[in-house]
Amino acid sequence: MEPISRRRFLTTTAGLAGILAAGVPPARGQQREISYLAWNNFAPASDKKLAEIGQRFTKDTGIKIRIDHIAHAQQAAKYASEVQSQAGHDLVEMRMHFPWLYEPQLVDVSDLVADLEKKYGKVISAGYETAHVKGVWRAVPQYHLFFLATYREDLFKKAGLPVPDTWEDLYKVGKELKKMGHPVGIPISQNYDSISTAGPVLWSLGGMEIDKDGKTVRINSPQTVEMVEWYKKMFRDCMEPEVLSWNDASNNESITAGKAGWIHNPISAYLLARNKKMVTADGINHHRSLAGPQGRHDTDVPRHMGIWKFSKNIEASKEWIRYLLGKKEVYDEYIVSGDAFNLPVYTNLQDHPVLKTDPKFAAVKPEGVQLHAYGWPAPPSDKVQQITNLFVLPNMIAKAVTGTPTKEAIAWAENEMKRMLAG
Amino acid sequence: MAVGNVGVATVARRSLRVRVRELIDREKILGPVFVTPALLLLVLLVAYPFAMALYFSVSNAFIGRPSHFIGVQNFVNLWQSDAFRQTFQNAFVFTGSAVAIKLVLGISLALLLNQQLWFKRAIRGAVLLPWVIPTALSTLGWWWMFSSLYSVVNWTGIAVGIMDPPGPNWLGQKYYAMTAVVAVNVWRGLPFFAITILAGLVSIPRELYEAAEADGAGPVGRFWYVTLPMLKPVLAIVVLFSTIFTFSDFNIVYVLTHGGPINSTHLFATLARQIGLETGRIAEGAAISLYLFPLLVFVVYAQLKFVRKEVY
Repeated sequence: MEPISRRRFLTTTAGLAGILAAGVPPARGQQREISYLAWNNFAPASDKKLAEIGQRFTKDTGIKIRIDHIAHAQQAAKYASEVQSQAGHDLVEMRMHFPWLYEPQLVDVSDLVADLEKKYGKVISAGYETAHVKGVWRAVPQYHLFFLATYREDLFKKAGLPVPDTWEDLYKVGKELKKMGHPVGIPISQNYDSISTAGPVLWSLGGMEIDKDGKTVRINSPQTVEMVEWYKKMFRDCMEPEVLSWNDASNNESITAGKAGWIHNPISAYLLARNKKMVTADGINHHRSLAGPQGRHDTDVPRHMGIWKFSKNIEASKEWIRYLLGKKEVYDEYIVSGDAFNLPVYTNLQDHPVLKTDPKFAAVKPEGVQLHAYGWPAPPSDKVQQITNLFVLPNMIAKAVTGTPTKEAIAWAENEMKRMLAG
Repeated sequence: MAVGNVGVATVARRSLRVRVRELIDREKILGPVFVTPALLLLVLLVAYPFAMALYFSVSNAFIGRPSHFIGVQNFVNLWQSDAFRQTFQNAFVFTGSAVAIKLVLGISLALLLNQQLWFKRAIRGAVLLPWVIPTALSTLGWWWMFSSLYSVVNWTGIAVGIMDPPGPNWLGQKYYAMTAVVAVNVWRGLPFFAITILAGLVSIPRELYEAAEADGAGPVGRFWYVTLPMLKPVLAIVVLFSTIFTFSDFNIVYVLTHGGPINSTHLFATLARQIGLETGRIAEGAAISLYLFPLLVFVVYAQLKFVRKEVY
């Protein structure tokens, strides 16, 4: 090892001490670098494309970017720890109401959204409701996905079953499907997919969890009773008890493995089967969301990009958002890589070419379907996100289908929701 | 002159070395020097987070927002939550049954391992495996085995004719789900019991058994009047540690059931995470995780007192 002279030692240590004291790196080390945390997309090709675009961004702008991924169920806890420690990634991908939950910690990105809206048209309603917090855009709408029906078209044809149009129709065909050994797969457990189905069933009957004022709990209603009764007969006659233990991936696994005959989910199950060349892929297709007496409603899951206030690279982070979403050719490329699982969130891009890349994407159009985020018609808030994250709605249904009297289960949910709103 | 200078320098260097050695020899100095790094780590990694948790539990802290002191309001409010009351009950059922089963099976396994066996060392090493594998990873394996779609447990049960198809809904029915999380906890914690009790067993003097045998004691009598009394201090320590670890278990429930179905397997740690981190109510989360702290302190105090009484 080369001996270090006293002069060199003193110069190096004095320099390091200076950097540490000032907290500013020397010009040579001041290359801009940002870090972005996103979920593990259920359309994995989209994550690969994101990495590729990230490399091009670095080449074009000189800003280094590190893209990390995390399972969607871990996002809330991870973000909470980043906020609490005021350290972590510069910008993060946020699902649904997250901008409301972390509002005081997020940079105002209204300027970015204004530019995007000029280019692509207004943000669709669910994106606006969830990222536009108290008059300020706290995150930039990135893309959205929505729930619809995924079913085994081959089995339906073989048994001569009609494609259901209402939730009541589903009960009728569901009984036949169960007899055929291919039950309906709607989770009733502590996961997000359970809420994504329970909400639309309740909305299509005219019910709601919380009123428009965001303060009055409305879960204890005749519509909820009707919804719970529907779930009870579905559980008894069309499904198997396994749905009480399912996680967000279980319904996908069930239909791709050849068991379930009908599930309520975005198109990720089909994409998985198609991309992995599974034998069930050809038989799987989609149809539009089911209706009830009060119309056709479904769950919308908008996703956004938010920049933490504690970030030291706010401008560079904004540049990344402009690059990914603001350049039409890049945004198109990114959307296409998601195979119609990730859809554009701006009105003028709704009829996107990605929808024509596979005939089985024909139903992936929310025509005649009212799409909402969790908790609708209550305005999005941190409270709604809390009720969501505590799985009050699926637990209410799970109680009822496993023996708790309907009214008792609903009263339990009402009490939990009131406690959440008061807290 | 030059020789004289070298001689002075050597003496000075020697005296410095001697002084350092003398300093090191003093216990009053050396003790704190050795203890300080560990103390600093304890303060940074244990005391500071604990103090923060204490503060959060008596505040209205919400992730990323300013907070203020509200006294014991969080602890009082928690009793109104059905999920918390259920969790409270779950924690006692889970810990009580898991520790009891681990104790009985642990003693049995230790007695077995204490026999003259072929491949004794290999078997003792293999017994430790469940304890060595990262819990989250091994629990994922269990999740696969209990999964409704691919359950190898049900497949085997049906194949040998002890279960009717489709078999128990392990993770979707509350009693089965609790059974599943207890079973995995027992599977993981058993080696700790067995190996520690085995260490206690090998330290029991052979003469005591010989004397008991001479007095006509059979295997049960020898176990009851020699083994068990001699093992008491070891058992007390093992049960103490296991009670604390089991009460604060997180991984098994988080991976297997996520606290479901209908909160029937939530433990303090999993509910605290769900409320404190996933919904942002960090104050309530801290209160949940600290709820049993006074009780556990009392259990530790009582058991350590018992151990001291037994040993001295």
